[in-house]
Amino acid sequence: MLMPETDASIVARRDDIVARLKALVPDGVVSDRAGLKAFDGDALTAYRQSPLVCVLPRTKEEVAAVLKFASEEGVPIVPRGAGTSLSGGALPLADAILIGLSRMNRILDIDLENRAVTVEPGVTNLAITRAVEGKGFYYAPDPSSQIACTIGGNIAENSGGLHCLKYGLTTNNLLSATLVTITGETVRLDSGGGYDLLGVVAGSEGLLGVVVEAVVRILPLPPVTRTLMAAFSSVPDAGRCVAEVIAGGIVPAAMEFMDRRCIEAVEAYCAPGYPKGAEGVLIIDADGIKSEVDEAIARIATIARGCGAEVREAVDEAERARIWAGRKSAFPAMGRLAPDMLCMDGTIPRRMLPRVLARMAEMADEYGLGFCNVFHAGDGNLHPLIIFDVMKEGELERAEAFGADILRLCVEVGGVLTGEHGVGVEKRDLMPEMFSDADLAQQQRLKCAFDAAGLLNPGKVFPTLSACVEQGHMHVKGGRVPYPNLPRF
Amino acid sequence: MAILARTEAEVVAAVQWARAHKRNVEIAGARTKRHMTYSRYQGPVLDLSRLAGIVEYQPEEMILTVRPGTKVAEIEACLAEHDQQLGFDPPDWGPLLGAPASSGTIGGAVAADVCGPGAVRYGRVRDHLLGFRAVNGYGEAYKGGGKVVKNVTGFDLPKLMCGSFGRFGPLTELTLRVFPKPPRQASLAVHGLEDGEGLRLLRLIHSSPLGATGLAFARGTAWFRFDGTDAALREKLDTARALLSDHEVSDGDDAVFRDIGNGTALDAGARDVWRIHAPPAAAPRIVSALAPARWVADWAGALLWLATDEADAEAMRAAVAREGGRMNLMRAMGKAYLHVRRLHPSPPELAALEKAVKAAFDPLGLFGSMGF
Repeated sequence: MLMPETDASIVARRDDIVARLKALVPDGVVSDRAGLKAFDGDALTAYRQSPLVCVLPRTKEEVAAVLKFASEEGVPIVPRGAGTSLSGGALPLADAILIGLSRMNRILDIDLENRAVTVEPGVTNLAITRAVEGKGFYYAPDPSSQIACTIGGNIAENSGGLHCLKYGLTTNNLLSATLVTITGETVRLDSGGGYDLLGVVAGSEGLLGVVVEAVVRILPLPPVTRTLMAAFSSVPDAGRCVAEVIAGGIVPAAMEFMDRRCIEAVEAYCAPGYPKGAEGVLIIDADGIKSEVDEAIARIATIARGCGAEVREAVDEAERARIWAGRKSAFPAMGRLAPDMLCMDGTIPRRMLPRVLARMAEMADEYGLGFCNVFHAGDGNLHPLIIFDVMKEGELERAEAFGADILRLCVEVGGVLTGEHGVGVEKRDLMPEMFSDADLAQQQRLKCAFDAAGLLNPGKVFPTLSACVEQGHMHVKGGRVPYPNLPRF
Repeated sequence: MAILARTEAEVVAAVQWARAHKRNVEIAGARTKRHMTYSRYQGPVLDLSRLAGIVEYQPEEMILTVRPGTKVAEIEACLAEHDQQLGFDPPDWGPLLGAPASSGTIGGAVAADVCGPGAVRYGRVRDHLLGFRAVNGYGEAYKGGGKVVKNVTGFDLPKLMCGSFGRFGPLTELTLRVFPKPPRQASLAVHGLEDGEGLRLLRLIHSSPLGATGLAFARGTAWFRFDGTDAALREKLDTARALLSDHEVSDGDDAVFRDIGNGTALDAGARDVWRIHAPPAAAPRIVSALAPARWVADWAGALLWLATDEADAEAMRAAVAREGGRMNLMRAMGKAYLHVRRLHPSPPELAALEKAVKAAFDPLGLFGSMGF
């Protein structure tokens, strides 16, 4: 893995940088080798890099001071929440300050009248729901890592989750955010008119600034939720069922698919009681008021049976919880089958599901690697999990090539490289598969508007280095410098 | 002078011409919202009304790709054939702005963030624009976003286009998500309410799980709209009546929501018209501080329409800002026409950032709608 070339002059100033940061955040600088080990990567585990130094501010003023210092000294910054990124968004750099927001973990205000909760960026996703569920509310986006991932990271990645089919991604549930720019300025962003900078900061993967406070929308808890499990004897039948439910104008709260291999892994892991012998299952939630849920469940069951499924409904809350716990465990369960795993994240038009699923199975044979399919079927967001052993000669390369081929296939059928995990370093070099030079240049100009010196999270998202030129306007320099030794994934 | 562009290539050529001659161009669709801006400098018009038509519509995908000059009314008619609709409930601001009814384009709706009462439930335009093609101030055609419902690949440029009033350049293609049309809708009304109580009732229903698709208050009446199948609608109306049981609840009138979205419910006469975005619970304080000639609350109070006689814009905006809101001038009739900026000015640090973002798309300032 090659990130932008390490600036030796920054590394040489390390002692001074550490000392200056200690003056800014007296009790929050990690600089010893052992301590830094804990911050050497995120959930894209194949890549590890110890940061130059790690700083853990407690206040937005400290964040502003650190960014101002970095800007003045020309030292890159890598922001980090809980380090659960699956795309390497928080992968440190040897010449960059890693700024961890995990200690800024206070819920600042719960405003039920406005259905809004104000939080610091290190508050975990689930903590928001925990804080308001007693009053009948919840925070809708629910990435599977919600017990650990932070709202700051969710905003950076525009995280989705199992229920975003009906309730949207982070960006659709965000009312405002306070951003510290690389020069240490603090700006409050909302969408009350004017440019929607809030919308573009959501999902910007730490390239535009550091969010130090956010106001998120909470929703009233649905009074009724019912869960169906539909077992199919063929994967294309399941794909057809998904397409028919969506085309039928039904918006389930969630609609998740798991294939046989994944079902078996999950059964071995936590025994949620999935049907034996099925080639695939769909787990479908409908939520809302009773009559609406009853109608949706009846219609979905009819469609599923029409597609050849055996349909069963969770009988009580305990079974519902068990079924969903199984789905959320797909990642760790598959992780037990092999030492290493890649989790892909492309989204495709839903009608393409049968075709893409069939092609992926062929590819797996061609690459000779194990894989399983688990995905957010309702919105066509695929999560093929490729399992491999990094110690076996050539397996990492094969796995990455397989993954890249899957994502190319997604783009080929009209889809995108990433539905919710972000580009990070993982899909960085595939960006030209989806975007032209002009498309990428425009995105990079936007980056330059926020961070002309390119200090925020360098080496992420964009496949080529570019320089921002200041002369009245900014543009991407013609002579791009490709990372010469990058693996194509 | 007008440049009539029928293809993206012609838009590119027009922008390159403007760039070469350093001419500011006014981007226009059906020109129904011209009155939201003003123009001292009569620059050439880049007319996109012929860059029209549906490019791709897959009802089973619930995704629609259209060219910007397509009439919103035409899109709605096409979607209705498949029992679908645009989720942001686009109103018709034509009559309020002195333009013919039902003539606005989708490009204009996106650029001006034209969304109606249903946005309280299904989100604003920003929540529906999945991807686009456009031409920037370098005269380059480019795309942003994608054509699937869930996508985080690269920066979310579609958000930036919504409500941009064309200041980042002409849009040449738009991809929107669409929604199933509810089988039925119905509404309730509570009349004779004090302002504070009326606004409270909107928030009360908004905090219930009924998923109201309209929550508005105008001149003493609170209006509540719901949708669903017969059974669902019955349950929602019964539950809402129970929640509102301290008051006499009557059947509502769906047409009221059309007038509220269109801004005609405000009955502004010849007054200036403003729209305020603020936290809903601040609405009673804002209304009492500003004491407008007329006002209407939509989105459970998160959107306020105001009609004012000549008033001190700066003082009003300061009062709104203290409540965490923004006050945008939608239609200026009097002195405000030339002297008041249409959008609520941002604080200096944010304004500097906004300027840099604008320059990232349009370094020469070719697309400079006046009045912003």
